[in-house]
Amino acid sequence: MPKQPLLEINELKTHFHTERGRVTAVDGVTFHVNEGEILGVVGESGCGKSVTSQSILRLFDEKRLAQYDGEIKLKGTNLLELSDEKMQSIRGNDIAMIFQDPLSSLNPVFTIGHQIAESILLHQNVSKKEAYEKAVEMLRLTGIPAPEKRVKEYPHELSGGMRQRVMIAIALSCEPQLLIADEPTTALDVTIQAQILDLIVEINKKLNMGVIFITHDLGVVAEICTRVVVMYLGQIVEEANVVDVFENPLHPYTRGLMKSVPQIDGDRSEKLHVIEGTVPALDNIPKGCRFATRCPFADELCVEKVPELREFKNGQKARCWHAEKIAEEDQEREDQYV
Amino acid sequence: MGTVESNVGLTSVKQKLKKEQRQLFFKRLISNKLMVTGGMTILFLMIVTLIGPFLVSHDPYEMVVQDRLQAPSAEHLLGTDEFGRDLLSRIIHGSKVTMGVGFSVAAITSLLGMIIGLYASYYRFLDHILMRICDGLMSIPAILLGIALMAALGPNTKNVIIALSIVFTPHVARVIRSAAIVVREQTYIEAMKAQGASTWRIIWGHMMPNTISPLVVQATFIFADAIITEAALSFLGAGVPAPDPSWGNILYDGKLVIFNAWWMTVFPGIMIVLSVLGLNLLGDGLRDLIDPHTNQGKK
Amino acid sequence: MFNYIIKRILSLIPVLFIVSIAIFLLIHITPGDPASIILGIDASQEQIDELRQQLGLDLPVYEQYIRWILGVFQGDFGTSYFSNEPVTTSIIEHLKPTISLAILAQIITIIIAIPLGIAAANRRGTVADQSIMGVSLLGMSIPSFLLGLFLILFFGVKLGWLPVAGYQPLEAGFFTHLKYLIMPAISLGAIQAALVARMTRTSMLEVLNTNYIKTAQAKGVKNRSIVYKHALRNAFLPILTVIGQTFGILIAGAVVTETIFNIPGIGQLIINSVERRDYAVIQGVVLFVTLSYVFINLVIDLLYGLIDPRVRLDND
Repeated sequence: MPKQPLLEINELKTHFHTERGRVTAVDGVTFHVNEGEILGVVGESGCGKSVTSQSILRLFDEKRLAQYDGEIKLKGTNLLELSDEKMQSIRGNDIAMIFQDPLSSLNPVFTIGHQIAESILLHQNVSKKEAYEKAVEMLRLTGIPAPEKRVKEYPHELSGGMRQRVMIAIALSCEPQLLIADEPTTALDVTIQAQILDLIVEINKKLNMGVIFITHDLGVVAEICTRVVVMYLGQIVEEANVVDVFENPLHPYTRGLMKSVPQIDGDRSEKLHVIEGTVPALDNIPKGCRFATRCPFADELCVEKVPELREFKNGQKARCWHAEKIAEEDQEREDQYV
Repeated sequence: MGTVESNVGLTSVKQKLKKEQRQLFFKRLISNKLMVTGGMTILFLMIVTLIGPFLVSHDPYEMVVQDRLQAPSAEHLLGTDEFGRDLLSRIIHGSKVTMGVGFSVAAITSLLGMIIGLYASYYRFLDHILMRICDGLMSIPAILLGIALMAALGPNTKNVIIALSIVFTPHVARVIRSAAIVVREQTYIEAMKAQGASTWRIIWGHMMPNTISPLVVQATFIFADAIITEAALSFLGAGVPAPDPSWGNILYDGKLVIFNAWWMTVFPGIMIVLSVLGLNLLGDGLRDLIDPHTNQGKK
Repeated sequence: MFNYIIKRILSLIPVLFIVSIAIFLLIHITPGDPASIILGIDASQEQIDELRQQLGLDLPVYEQYIRWILGVFQGDFGTSYFSNEPVTTSIIEHLKPTISLAILAQIITIIIAIPLGIAAANRRGTVADQSIMGVSLLGMSIPSFLLGLFLILFFGVKLGWLPVAGYQPLEAGFFTHLKYLIMPAISLGAIQAALVARMTRTSMLEVLNTNYIKTAQAKGVKNRSIVYKHALRNAFLPILTVIGQTFGILIAGAVVTETIFNIPGIGQLIINSVERRDYAVIQGVVLFVTLSYVFINLVIDLLYGLIDPRVRLDND
């Protein structure tokens, strides 16, 4: 019997009530994360990857704004069935999250020490003094120099990289089983990016913590992830281990994404590939395959009928009518080159 | 070929977007019931102001001593005041004075404020001087400046309009200036200057149209503020002088007989609340229409 | 912080200069000569000339201004035409009731408006929110003198619970003092309460939408704590600004309220002076109130630094 995954998401749907009516931002997403695994979630902005991640913690206002369907199981417990109080005890304790822009994600009027200690005080039965000591320790763990001094500082007194380390310190302060990192390096410059990535990988190994890493940067995915989920317009279009995604992507969208990454060893005179057209609006979803409007392989079938997510070899899954054809073509082309 | 096609695609997308925005605009317009209510109230009061005086049966100045301080009845729908004058006709004639003052002040301040604001935003040296003057005048509380001006000018309706215009013009000028400066900073204005377009054309042809929407919102609020301030001044005896009726000085008369004649306080009071509420609703609604993101307090 | 204070104070100089000129000029656009107004129609030309000289009205306008403004710097706001008393003395005599009234109105404003604004923001879109906002809109549309009249009519005349007018100083006992001031304070504070409630709601909604509130949620912070600790502290700056502005408006609004309730404050002083055409007092009082208004806003600005650490540092 396979081990139970850490997190299991089944047919998750997130609807929003907006001025233009109900919009389904996440439409039937299913995936899982194992212990100690780093899962990459990839897609353009607006594809629903951030909404998915925030839905896991149920961060949207369910009274007015949002409605969830499906299942989100953390070690077998369906989070969508929990009371508000229960959910609060899971947030920051079992599942923690770090966000894209560390400056706006830290409260400007509290010291960073306060913000780390708050999380500890919420979930652990310790004194204030102990919590602050733990905060210093967390800052040290995330590689912030002179942490005793830093705890007393305010977010605006730190650099961007430091702030993201503080966010990570907050997230890790209660040793969560799962860390959701929502584009944690996008707002940082390249050298700092690398340091933050190293930090996340290091902690992932040390604590055997599951990580959902959300990004649009395929380079980062190749570097740290074991499995990848590709999202397009609120749905998963492809899921595979990291090697397969890069070597033989089955969905035309994934292929497009791969081609739009500059290759240092490829023919540099070749133009960078651009996926034609723009992502349709959520209230204007195509009838058939959601990618059909932009897909070079699209035919009548694609425009008319919605493809299912189908499984291929190695557990690779793709939501495309023509996945086999595309795989074959790729194979032929490779054969030609050889 | 490809570019032509994609251009066509782009234009149609743009057109569709525009259409959608327009639909959303009207959806908001209609769904904003409060604003529609406010607008209807003001329209109603305007009609009363314009044709009401011809409909009332009593002369607002006619004193009938034996009829003094009568409660509302069939003969005097809203009762009479301490001189036996019919309250209904005094309120309706008063609306001509009060609404008239409010409207005139809104119109005059809009015009003056627009000129000052536009030229201040165009010429930097003027900007410094004019805006300091505006800041100075705005830091004197409106009612105090009004009282002081009325004390100096002497109490009559024309002077109320002058005094209130002086009080509120800086507010309009500020709003116009900040709207116009956004346009002024745009590259195409620089390009127009380089091509030798006249200052007049740049200011009135290009900067002015962009200030219209904030101006309309601001003018609505000033209309309301002017009604309040006129009523307050007249109530204090520093506004429209007796025996002319204005809602403010009817209230002043009412204060003297508040123990005997509730109707003299309640009815003109209701008129003031209605007109100010109507204008506030209208102004709030207009502002949300123009910029749905700001939902801030009035001032 | 120190530089910031200095900068802020320096920026007031041109404003105050303009204010003083504007107020000073008021006297000089007056039709008719103050001296002949004071002495009445029976006075001889010699008497008038003598008084003009005594009041300094025979000097060139700019010299009159300089004399006046130098006096103001030394705390001398001029001399009443009517009673020959220094204006400063009159102001001090009438200041206490006005301050009492303004402070009470401010307290009422704050304890009503801020909780209501927070409640509305927390329940945005609900009936509770809409009713709070509806009442506040109504509150903003009733001028304070009108609300005062309505209150008098209801609580004073109809129910007879509260005195319809008059004033008792604090020395007469706290509750007596309060009994006379409560209606004026409510009528004065209502508009400001409406304004502060709306501002609180807007400001809270803005903050509740920020990323750091999301972070706090993701940490598992309880809803109460998110609202009252994480959000309110950040939302408080704009609320404080409005409160600062309203305190100035309260003092100015007191002018009208005092007249209705017959409270011997600054407002009554200025209205009496208007009736007596005592321009020296009008000038002095308007300048004094404006100065306090500007000063209060300055203090509020400086308070920012205490609440928001960013202001503290950015301006060092």
